[in-house]
Amino acid sequence: MSAICIVNGKDHSLEAGETVERLLARLGLEGGYALVERNGEPVERSKYREVELRDGDRIIVARPVAGG
Amino acid sequence: MQDPLVIAEREFDSRLLVGTGKYDSFETMRDAVLASRCELVTVAVRRIDLDAGGEDITSFLPENTLLLPNTSGAETAEEAIRIARLARAGGLPDWIKLEVIPDARYLLPDPVETLKAAAALVEDGFTVLPYVLPDPVLAAKLEEVGCATVMPLASPIGSGRGLKLRDSIRIVIEQANVPVVVDAGLGSPSHAAEAMEMGADAVLVNTAIARARDPVAMAHAFRLAVEAGREAFLAGVMGEGDAEASSPPVGVIPGA
Repeated sequence: MSAICIVNGKDHSLEAGETVERLLARLGLEGGYALVERNGEPVERSKYREVELRDGDRIIVARPVAGG
Repeated sequence: MQDPLVIAEREFDSRLLVGTGKYDSFETMRDAVLASRCELVTVAVRRIDLDAGGEDITSFLPENTLLLPNTSGAETAEEAIRIARLARAGGLPDWIKLEVIPDARYLLPDPVETLKAAAALVEDGFTVLPYVLPDPVLAAKLEEVGCATVMPLASPIGSGRGLKLRDSIRIVIEQANVPVVVDAGLGSPSHAAEAMEMGADAVLVNTAIARARDPVAMAHAFRLAVEAGREAFLAGVMGEGDAEASSPPVGVIPGA
């Protein structure tokens, strides 16, 4: 059984060695601002390429939206 | 730049800050931002709906604008800090419009949690612009912990009621040593002009522009009002008094 992390409340099957950068690409979110929190801690953009996701990780992917 | 707005040692030509919420489209929002000539625009931070997709708002914002993420949605200091740190880690500026609003009906900010979050965020290296009720004591404390501005509300968010808290704002302006940005509740350019005439350093406007029949024209109108109000403040607005004729009392034609 493949490893699964939770992205914005939904199950996401992980590829072997899937990084934050790869996750964003798989979600179609490369380019622009994708803000990532992993298990309650923010992930630095400069680390997206190296941070690997693990089974059971809780991920939040956010971005800037219209607001006052 | 003759009369720049200076926040955290950064100079801005424009004293109008604009929010990006409530527009019918990102295109209209972009055109309104351009018409306002503002250089600081607020954005919120939200989870992406992975099924819905949607466009990236930042690609619609002019390059010369500084993005000011807000902490909307936070009801406690802890939540506000979390949002700010997420925004900065993801590459947004380390400037943050701090708002902690536990009250969904009147949308009034929590002063205790705001002060707590402000202190922690300043300590963590953020440039903090806190949204508050116009309380001079709170404003002084926010300044003390290192906030870059104070942003007192004129009246409840989105209400368009204007300077209902005028007298308190006047005291905040009188006592502040950091820029005072009147934020929330300004419904028309005349409200903005009045705030500027009182000596506010800047105003932040969202709903009044976004919900106008013609948001782009209204953005321009707010720009003019803010400029006029600022010039009037610098020129020195006359005090109120009793009736006093402007024409000479002597040599009147129908006289003797």
